[in-house]
Amino acid sequence: MNLEDIKSDNMVDTRGLTCPMPLLKTKKALKGMASGEILEILGTDPGSKKDIPDFGNKGGNQFLGMVDVAEGHTRYFIKKG
Amino acid sequence: MKTEIQNYYSVAFEQEWPGWLAGILIAIIALMIFLWQSPWGIAAGYHNWGDWFYYLVGAFDERPLNSWLHPVSLSDAGILIGAFASALLARQFKIHKAPKLEYAKGLVGGILMGSGAAMAKGCNVGGFFSAVAMMSAGGFAMMIGLGAGAWVGLRYLLWEMEHLPSQTVYSKPQDETESKAFDWTKIQPYLGGLTAIGVIVVFYVYSFADKTQLGGWLFFGFLIGLVMHRSRFCFVRAFRDPFMTGEAKMVKAVALSIIIYFAGSSVIKWAYLQEPTMGVYHPFVLGSLIGGFIFGIGMLLAGGCASSTLWRVGEGQTKLMVTLVTFTLANSLTSKFLLSSGLGDKLGKDIFLPDVLTWQITVPFILVFFLAWVLVAMWNEKTEKFVVF
Repeated sequence: MNLEDIKSDNMVDTRGLTCPMPLLKTKKALKGMASGEILEILGTDPGSKKDIPDFGNKGGNQFLGMVDVAEGHTRYFIKKG
Repeated sequence: MKTEIQNYYSVAFEQEWPGWLAGILIAIIALMIFLWQSPWGIAAGYHNWGDWFYYLVGAFDERPLNSWLHPVSLSDAGILIGAFASALLARQFKIHKAPKLEYAKGLVGGILMGSGAAMAKGCNVGGFFSAVAMMSAGGFAMMIGLGAGAWVGLRYLLWEMEHLPSQTVYSKPQDETESKAFDWTKIQPYLGGLTAIGVIVVFYVYSFADKTQLGGWLFFGFLIGLVMHRSRFCFVRAFRDPFMTGEAKMVKAVALSIIIYFAGSSVIKWAYLQEPTMGVYHPFVLGSLIGGFIFGIGMLLAGGCASSTLWRVGEGQTKLMVTLVTFTLANSLTSKFLLSSGLGDKLGKDIFLPDVLTWQITVPFILVFFLAWVLVAMWNEKTEKFVVF
């Protein structure tokens, strides 16, 4: 699946935030979503590159992938299980 | 051949190291520091830097020890430089800006950690990690305090998320001139290599000046900074994650590290290679417990403890730079207050566990204690019993 084409249902912007805020916001956003919906997370924390994929595959959810964009941040995609 | 070397480089310096590997390496380096001179700590170096500030502005009369002659100040500097070198080697060094609220949390977190570390006579390294390995009762009291503080700090973060408007830093789109400008990431690994060589040169300079032992502190600190940044080793997570995501990974890594560190230290101490009560000075029970609690809240706000503040500053995080400054200033001031008011003596006294429990019981007790911590964390990972949200 091409990450650039993913249409996300919800987005959290954690740019500039550091551990643990990106993970907390991700967890909160996922809680309010329906099964099958896709969450997009924007982030700049280097730690998120491991934390979000690890967390994204927990509890039945699925981490779809991440991509660095030219503006200097990373986009992450998680599908709610 | 070339691709093979590139692969090794990537595994060693670009990809994140697993936490358990870092736990083992940190325990080994900590044991080397213990044999080299005395147990590893962080806050004493911050204390020294803070004292210098107050001395220079005229608030303190006594001239502090020169920072380049202070062992812990040197190992702290080593951690920062090691993380800086590691970030460069991974082409990851970057000045990270944060929203205003984050700077405020960094500031308050630093003050809380600085005063908590003064009360406990050590941060999460000197007051907990080294303390439990050195069999000081205060280390266990601080551990309980850190856990309770982490819980309170996490509740605050959750409250903040619900009630305060969320702020982010919008990264500006790269304009033409910027992309044409010199590409720093290409030469970062060379700068990282030069930094590492620089540290070794400084070690030799110390050695020629007949101060090999001091130079060693800088070098060992450098190794710790490298390992911590490579693995993003974070003591805070061991206390926070069980409440936050339920994850037990960092608990396992820290417990493994402590068990190795303790096993080594008990051999060294029981065999009298070093004074058995060395590194046992923590105020049991009030100082360690309350200090740990305050420190625990602070480390959640700052998003880093004493050691991870250093390596995060080394990779360019401006929020933690604020924390570093307020930590040093609060630590020095609170220590001074506790000493001059006599309050410090009322916080408890140092207890060497084998004096109370005997060697025969202390050794298995500590091993079982940390294994139990891991088991509870693993059980919590499955059941999420302690997860607060």
